[in-house]
Amino acid sequence: MGEKVVKMGSFSFRITFIRIVLLLVALFGASIMLYRLIFGLGAATNLNDSWPFGLWIAVDVMLGVALAAGGFTTAGLVYIFNLKEYKPLAKPAILTAWLGYLLVIVGLGMDVGLWYNWWRPIFNWGYTSVLFEVFICVLAYNVVLLVEFLPVLSKRFNWKKVYEVSTFVAIPAVIAGIILSSMHQSSLGALFLIMPEKMNPLWYTSLLPWLFLLSAIAVGPAMVTFESFLASRTYNMEFEKDILGRLIKGVALISAVYVALKLWDLEARGYLSALFDGTLASNMFLVELALFIIPTLLIIFNSKRLSQKTIVAGAVLIVAGVVVNRLNVLFMGLYQAAHMSYFPALTEFAVTFGIISMGCLAYLFIVENFEVFTHEEVKLPKESAPVMTISRGSKQESF
Amino acid sequence: MTNHWIDYKNSDVILVIGANPAENHPMSMKWIHRAQEERGAKLIVVDPRYSRTCASADIVGHIRPGTDIAFINGLMNYAIENKKYHYEYLLNYTNASYLVRDDYAYLDGEFTGLQKINGKEVYDRSTWKYQTDSDGKPLKDLTLEHPRSVFQLLKKHVERYDIDTVCQVTGCSRDIYETIARTYCSTGLPGKAGNIIYAMGVTQHTVGSQNVRALAILQLLLGNMGIAGGGVNAQRGECNVQGSTDMAMLFHLVPGYMGVPRDHLHPTLADYNMKETPSSGYWSNKPKFFVSLLKAFYGDNATAANDFGYDYFPKSDNKDHSHQSIIADIDKEIIKGVILWGQNPVVGGPNTNFTINAFKKLDWMVAVDLFETESASFWKAPGVNPQEVDTEVFLLPAASVYEKEGSVTNSGRWIQWRYQAIEPIGECKSDLWLVDRLFNEIRELYAAEGGAYPDPILKMNWNYGGSFEKKPDVKKVALEINGYDVATGKGITTFGALKDDGSTACGCWIYAGYFADPEDPACKRRELEAPGGLGLHSKYAYAWPINRRILYNRCSADPQGKPWDASRALFSYELGQWKNLDVPDFNATLAPEASGANPFIMTAEGVGRLFSDSVGDGPFPEHFEPVESPVKNIFNKRDHNPIANIWRDDFSRLIEKGDPNFPIIATTMRVCEHYQSGVMTRNLPSLVELMPEMFVEISHELAEDYNIKPGDMVYISSPRGQIRVKAMITSRIKPLTIMGGKHHFISLPWHWGYSGLSIGESANKLVPNVGDANTSIPESKAFMCNIRKA
Amino acid sequence: MLIDITKCIGCRSCQVACKSWNGLDNETTSFTNDITNPPQMSAKTYTVVNFIETRLHDKPIWRFIKRMCMHCTDPACASACFAKAITKRESGAVVYDKTTCVGCRYCMLACPWWIPKYEWDSVFPAVKKCRFCIDLLEHGKEPACATACPSAIKFGDREEMLALAKKRIAKNPDKYVQHIYGEHEAGGTNVLYLSDVPFTSLGLPAVSSEPLPKLTWDALAKVPYLAGGVGLTMTAMYLFTHRKNAVAEAQREKIIDKAGE
Repeated sequence: MGEKVVKMGSFSFRITFIRIVLLLVALFGASIMLYRLIFGLGAATNLNDSWPFGLWIAVDVMLGVALAAGGFTTAGLVYIFNLKEYKPLAKPAILTAWLGYLLVIVGLGMDVGLWYNWWRPIFNWGYTSVLFEVFICVLAYNVVLLVEFLPVLSKRFNWKKVYEVSTFVAIPAVIAGIILSSMHQSSLGALFLIMPEKMNPLWYTSLLPWLFLLSAIAVGPAMVTFESFLASRTYNMEFEKDILGRLIKGVALISAVYVALKLWDLEARGYLSALFDGTLASNMFLVELALFIIPTLLIIFNSKRLSQKTIVAGAVLIVAGVVVNRLNVLFMGLYQAAHMSYFPALTEFAVTFGIISMGCLAYLFIVENFEVFTHEEVKLPKESAPVMTISRGSKQESF
Repeated sequence: MTNHWIDYKNSDVILVIGANPAENHPMSMKWIHRAQEERGAKLIVVDPRYSRTCASADIVGHIRPGTDIAFINGLMNYAIENKKYHYEYLLNYTNASYLVRDDYAYLDGEFTGLQKINGKEVYDRSTWKYQTDSDGKPLKDLTLEHPRSVFQLLKKHVERYDIDTVCQVTGCSRDIYETIARTYCSTGLPGKAGNIIYAMGVTQHTVGSQNVRALAILQLLLGNMGIAGGGVNAQRGECNVQGSTDMAMLFHLVPGYMGVPRDHLHPTLADYNMKETPSSGYWSNKPKFFVSLLKAFYGDNATAANDFGYDYFPKSDNKDHSHQSIIADIDKEIIKGVILWGQNPVVGGPNTNFTINAFKKLDWMVAVDLFETESASFWKAPGVNPQEVDTEVFLLPAASVYEKEGSVTNSGRWIQWRYQAIEPIGECKSDLWLVDRLFNEIRELYAAEGGAYPDPILKMNWNYGGSFEKKPDVKKVALEINGYDVATGKGITTFGALKDDGSTACGCWIYAGYFADPEDPACKRRELEAPGGLGLHSKYAYAWPINRRILYNRCSADPQGKPWDASRALFSYELGQWKNLDVPDFNATLAPEASGANPFIMTAEGVGRLFSDSVGDGPFPEHFEPVESPVKNIFNKRDHNPIANIWRDDFSRLIEKGDPNFPIIATTMRVCEHYQSGVMTRNLPSLVELMPEMFVEISHELAEDYNIKPGDMVYISSPRGQIRVKAMITSRIKPLTIMGGKHHFISLPWHWGYSGLSIGESANKLVPNVGDANTSIPESKAFMCNIRKA
Repeated sequence: MLIDITKCIGCRSCQVACKSWNGLDNETTSFTNDITNPPQMSAKTYTVVNFIETRLHDKPIWRFIKRMCMHCTDPACASACFAKAITKRESGAVVYDKTTCVGCRYCMLACPWWIPKYEWDSVFPAVKKCRFCIDLLEHGKEPACATACPSAIKFGDREEMLALAKKRIAKNPDKYVQHIYGEHEAGGTNVLYLSDVPFTSLGLPAVSSEPLPKLTWDALAKVPYLAGGVGLTMTAMYLFTHRKNAVAEAQREKIIDKAGE
C-alpha cells in the first residue's frame, strides 16, 4: 500500500487506509455535531422524555469513563505500587485515559442541552447531586491527566520548566488521579441509586457504586492489555506477554470478586431466581455475567501458561462485559419503566463513532509524534525533536 | 330551575336523568359532591351511557334512550304502591284531591278529545278539567279515595308501570331499578329532600314536555317542590339560555312568559287581556305586565287611546315557527332571508343535509358570530358547489363575552352583570351595537321611503344613544328591561308596582328589580354571605322573580308554617310571625293556613298540578316509543306520541320499525371540552387539543360483532345522511336488553362540522325531522341508524 | 394540594387553566380511545388528566386522575441537579430555573414519577414541569389548576390538607382506600391523592417512603471517606514501596561504592 506521510513542521502523520476511514468517520461525526449544535437535540437524536439519557451518555460518557480506567490503575501500579515492570504501559495508558476523558467532555458537550452553561456548577454547587461529584471529578481528573501527561508533552516541546514542575508533582498527581477516579467511577454507578422504583431490580442495588468501581478497576488493565495488543500489531512491537499476563491475572481476580459480589447481592436481595425467567432483561444480565465469568475462568484455568491469545481474548471479553454492563444498566435497567421506546438515531451513532475515531486518530498522532512507548527515561533533547524513536524491547522502528 | 345551583348541596338524594352535569355543567358537581360529602347524599344517575357524571354516582341506572316516562312513571307507581309519597303535601299543596270531569278518560294510548284536524291529530282538551261547583270552584275529595280524584286517576294511570314491565321496556336491570326506586322514593318522607336534575336527554324527544311533566309530578308526589334541596332543575345548555328564554327567544312567547298575541284570537288588546288572563292566581295580573311591555316598546307613542300601541305589536299567524318549521319554510321559499344571530343550524339542528339544501334557496343570510360558522359557510359545505349558490351571505363579526358588557341569567335564574374586560378585536362589535345599528338603519329607511306599515318601526321607543361611532348605552337597555315609572324615569323595584294604565313601562316583568338603580343595580351585588347555611346568597346577584331563590317556597313548611325540616327551613311561622330566609313566594301578611292554601301562586288553582291540561299531549305522562324505535310499545296501542310533530317528507325519511338496515339505537351527546355546535370551542386550540376529533362511542360487544378496532373509521348512516367518524370502543356503553332482545346502542357527540380548527362530521346529519308535540324540539336523543366499518 | 379522585369529574379545566396561566403552547393531538389528551405530559403540558376505565366492587367504573409534579418535600429532581437549577421553595413548590441549568437531564431520570420533561425541539432547551404556579403562590393565590377545579382539588398547607384527607377517610371509611398517596411516598409530597380505587390502578406507581435523595446522599456521604481512604492508602503504599526501593537503591549504591573502593 502506498503510504503517505503528511508533515507539518516537526510533526508528521502517516496516512493509511484505516486512518482515512477514521478521518472520514470523524469528519462526518463532527459535521453531525455541528448539526446538533445548530438544530438541537430533537433534530439530532431519538431521545425523548422517557429516555433523557441515550447512546451518548451510555457510550461516550459511561463507557468512555470506564474504559479509560486504565489510566489510574496503571499509574497506580507503576508509580504507587512501584511495580516497575509495568512502566512501559503507564504512559500509553495515561494517554488513552486523557484522550478518553477529553472525549467524554466532548460527548457531554454534545449531550447536555445548554452546553454554554457548563461552568455553572462550579459556582452553583449542587452538592447533593451525584452528578456534581462526577462533574468536579471529571474536570479535576482532566487536569490531573494533563499533568500526568505533561512530562511527555513538555519534553517534546522543550518546555523545561514545565517538565520540571510536572515531574515534581507527578506522584501527588497520580494519587489525586486515583482518588478522583475511584470517586467518579463509583459515582457513575451511584447516579442510578436515585431510581429504586424505576430501575429493573436485577441491576438496582445499593452496591452499584462498588460494582462500578470494581468493574472499572478490572476493565482498566484489560483495556490496557487490549490496547497494547493493538499497538503491538500496529507498530510491529513485541507483545509484552509476561507483563500483560500478570496484569490479566489481576484482572481475572478482580473480575472474580466482581462476579461473586454481584451474585451474592442478587441472592441477598432475592432476585437470583429472576435471572432465569427468560425475559430480555434477565437474558441480557446473563450475557453480561457470562462475559465476566468466561474470561475469568479462561485466565484462571490457564494461569500457568498464558498464551497471547488467551490474554487478549480474556481482556476483550472483560471489556465486552463492561460494555454490556454499562449499556444494560441504562437501557435494560430503565426499559420496563419507560413508556416510550428509544433506539439511537443514525446521527447519534455517527457522533459516537466520530468521537471514537477522533480518539483513535489523536492517539495515533500522539504516539507517533511524542515519546509514549518507552521505558527508558529519555533525556530532554537539546534542540527541537529530531525523528522520534520508539524503543521497546529489542525492536526498533523509525518512521 | 325551581331551585338554584348551590342549593344542590342541600339534597338528600339527587336524581340526574337525561343530563350530564359533570361534562356540561361541571361547576354544579361541586355542590353535588358537597351534598355527598357533608350530608351523605346519594347521587343517582339515569342515563343510557356511562358518562363522566356516572363516575361520581352512588347508583347508576342505564336505560334505553326514549324510555324516561316508563322509568319515571314506574317510580310514581312504586311511591304510590308502597305509600312512599308525602301525604300531607299531596293533600294540601297539590291537586291530588281535585275531582276530574267524568267524561275525561284515558284508553290505550289516547286521552279523550283526540281528533284529526287537517290530517294531523290534536287534542281537544275540554274534558281535561275539574268538576266544579255552581260557583265554578273545583270539587275536592280530601280522603283522596274518590275514583275521579286526581290521585286515584294517577294511581290507576301509573299502576301499569310495574317494575318488571318498566325494566323490560327501559332495559334497566331489576336490582338497580329497585335500588333507585327505594332510594329516590325515600325522599317522600317529610323532612327529606330529593332533587331532580335534567337537561336535553329528557327534552329532546317527541315526548319531551311530558318527560318534564313526569319529573314534576314525581316531585309533587314526594313533596320535593319548593324546598331547599328539592325541585325540578333544568340545567340550561349555556350560561344565558335562561336569560334568552326569559326574553322570549321562542316564537310563541313575548318576554316574561306571556303568550304571543295571535291575529285571529287577539285582534285587540281587550281580546288579548280577556283570553290570556286567568281569573285567579298571580297571572291575573297579566294585563299590567303586558301593558307595561307595550309601554316599553312604544314609549310615548303607547297611549290608552291607541291600546298602548297594541296594533304595532307583531302578531303570530298561529302557525308553527319553531326551528324545524323555519327550515322547512326556507326550503319552500316562504322565507327568503335569515339572520343567524349566534346560531349554527347546519351543525346544531336536525337533518343538517336538508338544512344546507334549504339555505341554498335563500336570497340572503346574515350570520353574526365569533367565527365563520358552518351555517355562514353553507355554500362551501362538502358536496356544495359555491358557483351554484346565489345566496348573498353577510358575516358580521361579533364581540366575545369579554369584549362587551351586559347581564347573563343562569339556570338558577340569577341575573349577573358581566363587565367588559377588553375592547373587541378587529372590527368586532357587541350584539347591542349591531342590533342598534340595524334597527336605526332600518328606521331611517322607513322614514325616508315609507312602506306598507312603517309605524311599528317608526314609533318604536328606541333610543339608547348609539351611533356608528358610539356604543349604545347598555344601562339604558337594562333599565328598560327592569321597568321604570314613566313619569319619573326611575326604576321600579318589584313587578308589584306595574300598572295597566300606561304609567309604568317594563320590558320583562319578571326582571323587575334587577336593575332598579342603574348606578348600583342589584345584579351587580357580589356579597358572599349566606345566612342559614343553605347557600341562598341573597346578596349575590339578583334572582328573578324579586330575588326569590327557591320557587314555590311556601311548600317548605307545613300548612301551619312549621318547616318540614328545621335544618333546611326557608321559613317558619313563630309567634304569629314569619321568619324568612328567602323571599316569600306567597302572601306573607296572611296567616299560614291562608297562604298554605295557595302555595303555587302561578297556577289558577293555587296548587301543584298532578293532572294538568296545560300540556298538549295529555294530562298525565304516558310512555310512547320514540318515532324511530326498534321495539313495539307494550304500554298501549299507539306506538309513538299521537300528536308528535313529524315532518313526513322526502327530506326526512323515517326508519320503519324493524328495518333490518338500521338496527342500531343512537343518541347524541355533548362532551365537556366542546360547546354546542362547537363554533366557539372547535376554534380554540386549548380545547381542540383535549378533544381533537369527532368520534362515536360504541360497546366492545358491537365492536366485536362488526369487527371494529379502536380508532377505526366507521360509517354511520340513516336515511337522512351518512357520517364517517372514528370509533371509540369502551365499556361505558353496553348493548341493551329490551324485552329479551339484545339491541346495540351508540352515542355520538354533535359538536363537529366542516369549518374551524377542528373539523369533523355532524351527528345531526342523521337526526330525523320529528319533534315534541308541544315544543317541536327534535328527537335527537333517540333514533335509529346503521354502522359499518369504513 | 389535595386531589380527591372520587370528586374528579374529568372536566380538564385544570389542563386548560395550566396552559393558559403558564403560556404553554397547545399540542397537535389526535383521537385517543381513552379520551386522555395529550396522551402524556410534555414540555408543553405540565398536567394531564388520565381517563381510566377500571372496576370497583366488580362493577365497571371510570376514574380520572390529574397527573402533575408531586412537589416532593425532599425532591429527587432538585437533589439530582448539579447546578441548582431546581430548587425547593419555602412555599413547597419545586421550581426550575433555566439560568443555571446545564441540560444534563438527570432530574428527568431521578424523578420517580417521570415529571420533568424536555424541550427536545429547542436548540437551547429547558426542562419543563409544573411550577405550582409559584408566581401565584407568592401573591397568596392558589395555583391555576386549583382555582379552575370545580370540585376535586383543595389547596392549602400540607398539614391542613393531610388533616382534611384523614377526615374524609374517617367519615367515609368504606368508600376510600385507607391511604393518602403522597403522605409518605418519596418522603412525602405536597400533592396528595385520595381515592376509592387502588392507586396502582390509577397508574400511580408504588414509591417507597424513603426520600430518594437520601439514597444518593448516603453514597455521596461516603465519598470523603473513600477519597481520604484511597488517598491515605495510596500515599502509604507509595511511601512503603519507594522506601523499599530506596533501601534497595542505597544498598546497591553501597555495593557500587564498595566495588569502587
